Amino acid sequence: MVNRVRVTPTRWSRVYTFWTTCLLAVLLVLAGGAVVAGRARAQAPPESGADPGMIRGPASAPVTIVEFSDYQ
Amino acid sequence: MNEYDGRVRLVFKDLPLPSHALARPAAEAARCAGALGRYWPYHDRLFAAQPAFERDDLIRYAVETGLPREPFTRCLAERRFASAVEADVAQARALGVRSTPTFLINGRPFVGAQPVENFRAAIDDALRAAR
Repeated sequence: MVNRVRVTPTRWSRVYTFWTTCLLAVLLVLAGGAVVAGRARAQAPPESGADPGMIRGPASAPVTIVEFSDYQ
Repeated sequence: MNEYDGRVRLVFKDLPLPSHALARPAAEAARCAGALGRYWPYHDRLFAAQPAFERDDLIRYAVETGLPREPFTRCLAERRFASAVEADVAQARALGVRSTPTFLINGRPFVGAQPVENFRAAIDDALRAAR
């Protein structure tokens, strides 16, 4: 005699699967965003991120000199 | 800058070299001065005072350039701009900049303290290319 066991997902396992899927989707979106942001940073001009107080001259100037220096 | 008025913009970034132990506190101090509205006078004072950058020196220069002692000292003690300086260092590393001073003139590297004529020639080239 063969016992056929039918496995039906419980309510809890369905809830668990649903939230796991949501979490994975959110992680994928975040990972994609991080990759895009990383590429944007890599392509950003060297003057990007500068403190406005550490800039002399107008933003419309045709030449931008970025000086990396130390004081010592 | 005066000679190229309106045609050149200068962006200063911090790159305190590891071999210059007092350069990083000086860079952080300059940003504290900036937060209090006196970045460039303090910046110029630091270059004039090289290499005397002990804590008391940095505070004295601040007072001499008209900064209020207490908020400046607190900013310095809290290392409020440590991460901002580190961000510049990381950017320099990413761009392959390893020595100071290094200038990027419209993105083209110009390394070392060179005669003013060389700067003028490089800026004139960049202005011609930008037309």
